[in-house]
Amino acid sequence: MADPNTRTLQTATIGIGEYRVGSFPMMTIGLGSCIGLTLYDPQKKTGAMVHIMLPDSGGRTDRPGKYADTAIPVLLKELDKIGSSNSSLVAKMAGGACMFEYFGTNLNIGERNTDKVRVVLKEQGIRLSAEDVGGKVGRTVTFLPASGGKVSIRRADGVTSEL
Amino acid sequence: MKLSAVQADAIQELGNIGAAHAATTLSQMLSSTVSMSVPAIRTIDIAELGNHIGDESAAMVVFELQGEIQHGGYIIFYITRESAIRLTNTMLGMTDMDRELNEMDQSALLEVGNIMVSAFLDATAEMLGFIMLPSPPVLSIDMAHAAMESLIAQLGEEVDEVLLFSTELICEEHKIDSDIIMLPEISTLKRITELLEAMMKAP
Repeated sequence: MADPNTRTLQTATIGIGEYRVGSFPMMTIGLGSCIGLTLYDPQKKTGAMVHIMLPDSGGRTDRPGKYADTAIPVLLKELDKIGSSNSSLVAKMAGGACMFEYFGTNLNIGERNTDKVRVVLKEQGIRLSAEDVGGKVGRTVTFLPASGGKVSIRRADGVTSEL
Repeated sequence: MKLSAVQADAIQELGNIGAAHAATTLSQMLSSTVSMSVPAIRTIDIAELGNHIGDESAAMVVFELQGEIQHGGYIIFYITRESAIRLTNTMLGMTDMDRELNEMDQSALLEVGNIMVSAFLDATAEMLGFIMLPSPPVLSIDMAHAAMESLIAQLGEEVDEVLLFSTELICEEHKIDSDIIMLPEISTLKRITELLEAMMKAP
């Protein structure tokens, strides 16, 4: 789970439901319906990244990073501890795809995740500056707080883009 | 759900039988020898999923487990992109490796997955006396992790750990490496272990 004290320049891989705070490179691999959300403080060149799986926690508190409604508040709390207030943060998000068009279950979890992240960011007064969401495509996302909060996205076909 | 050593052994045996039948069908389709690994049962924390399934490009033919349990989880025919091209090349008498997976490849993969998974589930149904039917297949040709995490997110019973139960099927002649992976709901897993335990107790 999050360990804000870790100071490593190696890329931290953030698994499903995990989050990290710091200025080291961070990465979420193979996002499908999950969301990779980054919050960046341009003045401090630091930030946070979380790998969200589902929109609503339904009151569960043991893995706050797993759900959109609990992940964003916990990131803001961690960032506040190191002196980044909500108004100084910029958000970017990627993922929220629908990898399987048909499954009868009629759950577009990717879209619900994306919607929920937007709503919670708005509630918290965080500006969403860029996003690459939806479609039927997997994304691996890298976040470089030390390099201006750059977020780069690689797709399965090797195409890369930047947010 | 934690499996006891006995339960794990029993599930492994079930996988063995299912995969052996699937391997036979693959062998017939390729007219070549197909060998299989010992089935691996892995309980994986979702945060660690990326250590087991990466963002490499793969074809996954996915079936929902239906039948006596309505939404029983998923069973997946997994094959890396290169192996998928070699597989359809072998079946369709082509040699070009440097190409995209086209519509013909996609229908071939769906069909191969369908035949193999049906053989797998037929064999396990016969052994267990418990029928799991495959839904119509859906295909993803993309990052393996992206497809798998999406399936885990839409499991009916929300989990922090998943049980992945996989058997590797290899055709050395054509360098084709594939897996059959089962991602059962907890209720399905419970039902299967109960039936296996009852079988072992029977005289």
